[in-house]
Amino acid sequence: MNTTATNPSANKDLSERALGALLLAPAALLLAVIVVYPIATLFWTSLTSVDPNNPQAGAAFVGFDNYLRAFDDDRFWHSTWNTILYIVVTVPGALIVGLGLALLANQPFRVKWPVRLGLLLPWALPLVFAGLIFRWFFEYNTGVVNNWLVAAGIEPMQWLSTPTLAHWAISLTIIWKASSFMALMLLAGLQTIPKSLYEAAEVDGASKWQQFREITLPMLRPAIFVALIFRTITAVQTFDIPYAMTGGGPGDSTETLAMYIHKTTLDFLDFGYGSALAALMFVISMVATAGYLRYTRRSTSRSGED
Amino acid sequence: MALELFGVPVKKRAMIWIAGAIVVVNGFFPAVWILLTSLKTETELLRVPITYLPDAATLENYATAFTAQPILRFMWNSFVVATLSTALCVFVGALAAYALTRLRLPHRNLIMSVLLAVAMFPLITLMVPLFKLMREAGLLNTYLALILPYAVLSLPVCTLVMAAFFQDIPPDLEAAAMVDGCSRVGALFKVVIPLSAPGVFTAAILAFVNAWDEFLLALTMMNRVNMRTLSVGITLYQGEFAFPWPLISAALIVAIVPICILIAIFQERVVGGLTAGGVKG
Repeated sequence: MNTTATNPSANKDLSERALGALLLAPAALLLAVIVVYPIATLFWTSLTSVDPNNPQAGAAFVGFDNYLRAFDDDRFWHSTWNTILYIVVTVPGALIVGLGLALLANQPFRVKWPVRLGLLLPWALPLVFAGLIFRWFFEYNTGVVNNWLVAAGIEPMQWLSTPTLAHWAISLTIIWKASSFMALMLLAGLQTIPKSLYEAAEVDGASKWQQFREITLPMLRPAIFVALIFRTITAVQTFDIPYAMTGGGPGDSTETLAMYIHKTTLDFLDFGYGSALAALMFVISMVATAGYLRYTRRSTSRSGED
Repeated sequence: MALELFGVPVKKRAMIWIAGAIVVVNGFFPAVWILLTSLKTETELLRVPITYLPDAATLENYATAFTAQPILRFMWNSFVVATLSTALCVFVGALAAYALTRLRLPHRNLIMSVLLAVAMFPLITLMVPLFKLMREAGLLNTYLALILPYAVLSLPVCTLVMAAFFQDIPPDLEAAAMVDGCSRVGALFKVVIPLSAPGVFTAAILAFVNAWDEFLLALTMMNRVNMRTLSVGITLYQGEFAFPWPLISAALIVAIVPICILIAIFQERVVGGLTAGGVKG
């Protein structure tokens, strides 16, 4: 910027601030209407309840009753447990598969577009479409997975109507869908690692595995970190894929917290309780993110000591 | 001396080929599979063992896909919602990115962090109050009920991508425009944005794809069939008990073709935009 001393800068700063406020106003307004105001009403609504026997009376203030109700609600704990299960399985799963894909895609291809599209297509495919397609892969009679099992001499399995198997089928689908985006981010990280580091390691006689452990992984750490945060925040909100694959079934064995909130609010129209559940979910996602941030602070301060 | 092809040992070239093939197969197999299925008849589908290539390819499923549900209407809805929310998001994001990168504002980083943190609030927790808000405002089953949230959904990534491009424009160019009688805002629209066209464009594609793919809010805000967007509309093809897979596959193919064309044409931009946030971290 122009900071010449001849300019009476106080006045200019003021007008620049005014302009800045003006330019930021639309974003602030949009966020106020779509995020801040709804959050405020979310917390307020979570403290109210509508008497089902007397809905005409409207919502009454009930304090923390909805939260207390959640603690006694098996379905809340169950759907939260499922959500945690999907986080615990799909975050490392997508990282490992994504890292593999990124390493494979980081080869010196002469024609780059097929590989690039191979990573972009799963990203661009709507989650619910991926869910539908994989639902069918796992169908009992006409699904391709059972077809392979039979060909390999194994009994076909009831993938989507057995709770444990349904969990695995859903997790696999999420991993497939999420790993490509992970790979794209890690690939960008890989491409920033200077080639000279590998050449020097080669001269020193380091094996490929040593190079991977001593150069690739440490240099990739920031990209891995960002990718993990993204994936975890998304995993907390898991909805589309189980919705398309099992609808939460069999029974409500694969239901996630997001699906339970959706049902409570839109099918049972219980806004008070639905809001309380949503607030609890927000807490879960904050805890997960905070965990990561603490980890990075610790690891960056440690690497600072080196 | 090892055998060489294009200056690379044949063995190494083979490894590279295999690596590429794995990535391509992993990315494409579901799409290829539904493409093949969309050409099969329902009877062929039920045959055991299953067939891979269709015996007698038919386009019948595509004809049914257009008549069984108003898929063109779904597509139009998705198109309207995605286009308008993208326009809103890019406009609002560009103003914010400009203010945060090219003006000397106090607490720039803080403002940026707050904007990003607020905009990244989990969508599912917003669903409940947004549904109430839109219902009270009488906006359920209107495009606006999706356009506004979708603009927010993509605001962080759009702002970040555009900010990265705005930062690289020499201040002298802007100063020159202002000497020529342009106002500061005029310089933004006549100099900064045109020069950052690739960045603005990348942001727009990302916002468009995000809006096109979104499911939960679309399911929540639109309950009239003729207001459904594609991602929700496709789920309407499933029957009560049985899944007409060839028909669903045809509908899926119709639904993903626009987005495939978009990413095929602009693949480099999309990759650049997607990874911009991650690498800068």
